[in-house]
Amino acid sequence: MTRPPSPLSMRPRPIWVLFGLVTFAVLVAPLPGAAGAATREIALDATQFEFAPGRVHVNRGDRVVITLTASDVVHGFYLDGYGLERRVEPGITEQIAFTADKPGKFRFRCAVSCGPLHPFMIGELIVERNTPYWRAVGVVLVAAAGMLVHLWQSGKTRSSQEVINGTG
Amino acid sequence: MERREVAAWVAVGLIVIGLPSAVLGYQHWLRLAAAEQRVIDIQAYAPERGGFAPDAIRVAVNEPVTLRFAAMDVTHGVALGPGLGVDLGHIDPGKVKEISLTFDRPGTYTYYCNTWCGPDHWRMRGTIQVIDPANPDLLPAAQPDPVIAALIAEGVDIDAQHDAGRKHGDAPALIIERPPSAQRGATLFGSVTIPPEVSDPAWRRSHPPAHVLELLRQTNRQAPQADLIDVVAYLWTTDTAPETLAAAESLYNKNCAACHGQTGGGDGPAAGTTAEKPVAFADAAYLFERRSDVLYAKIRRGGMGTDMPNFGTLFTPEETWALVEYLWTLPVSALPEPR
Ligand code: HEC
Ligand SMILES: [Cu+2]
Ligand SMILES: [Cu+2]
Repeated sequence: MTRPPSPLSMRPRPIWVLFGLVTFAVLVAPLPGAAGAATREIALDATQFEFAPGRVHVNRGDRVVITLTASDVVHGFYLDGYGLERRVEPGITEQIAFTADKPGKFRFRCAVSCGPLHPFMIGELIVERNTPYWRAVGVVLVAAAGMLVHLWQSGKTRSSQEVINGTG
Repeated sequence: MERREVAAWVAVGLIVIGLPSAVLGYQHWLRLAAAEQRVIDIQAYAPERGGFAPDAIRVAVNEPVTLRFAAMDVTHGVALGPGLGVDLGHIDPGKVKEISLTFDRPGTYTYYCNTWCGPDHWRMRGTIQVIDPANPDLLPAAQPDPVIAALIAEGVDIDAQHDAGRKHGDAPALIIERPPSAQRGATLFGSVTIPPEVSDPAWRRSHPPAHVLELLRQTNRQAPQADLIDVVAYLWTTDTAPETLAAAESLYNKNCAACHGQTGGGDGPAAGTTAEKPVAFADAAYLFERRSDVLYAKIRRGGMGTDMPNFGTLFTPEETWALVEYLWTLPVSALPEPR
């Protein structure tokens, strides 16, 4: 049974306009603190026997610039996964720059024996999946919601049609 | 016994007795005889745990010695001075570094740690007395430093409260709005009348830049103050070759930055541990009221009771002057192109 589309159904329904807007927003909205690949400057201080901060979050693709200092004795910095190593002496600031191109959780540890608890001097670098990833997730979610709404709506339409036709 | 049996016994005897005696003989006798050198083992502990052990050694003139330094707790750095040009660099815990040397005249030298290794790091020093075997008790007396002697003769009190009671941190008498640019000073230099004595580097060493600024203000009444400050910055940063400044920078980073800060902010990681606050050389208004020869004297003699260490037994006078020249570059934003 084919009917010529009525002028009314040609016009997008408000609900689809809303979905269009949400999709657009998910794709282009600036996310707080995660706008594209940014330069992340991180001050990292090493003391016996910890790094401050002990956990660092960056986004995938970020240019990471770590300003490394030591406040008591010589320490080191070795970043798993990225294979970066540096030694740092109190008073002399070291800069380590790299691009966080591998997502995941990486440990950084002291690379210079600095005392009895040296083996426990460990911190964590968390490279989050980057914004395109989260946007893609957002679009998939919006699409799923759209699908549900569509199913629900078409169900409703059919039943009203059926009511009109008196076949229900 | 058969001949072959005898041969076998001899072979066994050689292995059982000959091998150990060859190894031990080499270890305890042959190797030392071949080296024909005194080896002095020095253990390096952080000062809180005793510093260098031993912290004093005696060697004879022309006696070849090997000093073997072992780091026992944390990373240390070992250098020898003054004027020996020996810097062994970092020694990590469990590692050993050695240096062989022969002293050709009697005197006193210092081995010292040049890597911050604890709150009292700068006390981590040991002395080497080089004696003349013919006259073991006669060590040349330390020569008084002519610069410090001249300051005392002039009546300058090195420890005087800086600038009539003003301590660093108080509002300066001299107001410098932006970091002086020696580069800009170099381009302005030709357009400013300079009193003749100011062109003399020796004269400049005993006068603070603030004094010269006053002189320039009198001879160049129309010139803006900022221009004159830049010219003075230029005058105070041109006397040293770039290589000398680079060597002084490395010396500063290893020996001074932990207190005074790498960029001279007075804010190194150990700044909070000293009896007095370390001076912020990057503060132009402060530094421009200081004299080079007083800074020199302070570095060599230290600041009594302030926790500013004395470096006179570690560095040569030339190295100390180079450090002073380097200090003058710290408040300056742009250095002129090397000539
Ligand atoms: C242990 C910390 C410490 C270290 C290391 C140290 N200083 Fe100091 N320094 C101080 C303190 C504290 C003062 C302040 C003393 C005072 O006001 O008289 C000071 C003062 C000075 C002054 C005097 C400034 C003035 O205006 O009179 C000079 C110059 C100086 N330091 C140079 C150096 C140099 C060069 C080095 C390295 C070779 C060095 N210091 C290493 C703590 C330190
Ligand atoms: Cu460590
Ligand atoms: Cu040390």
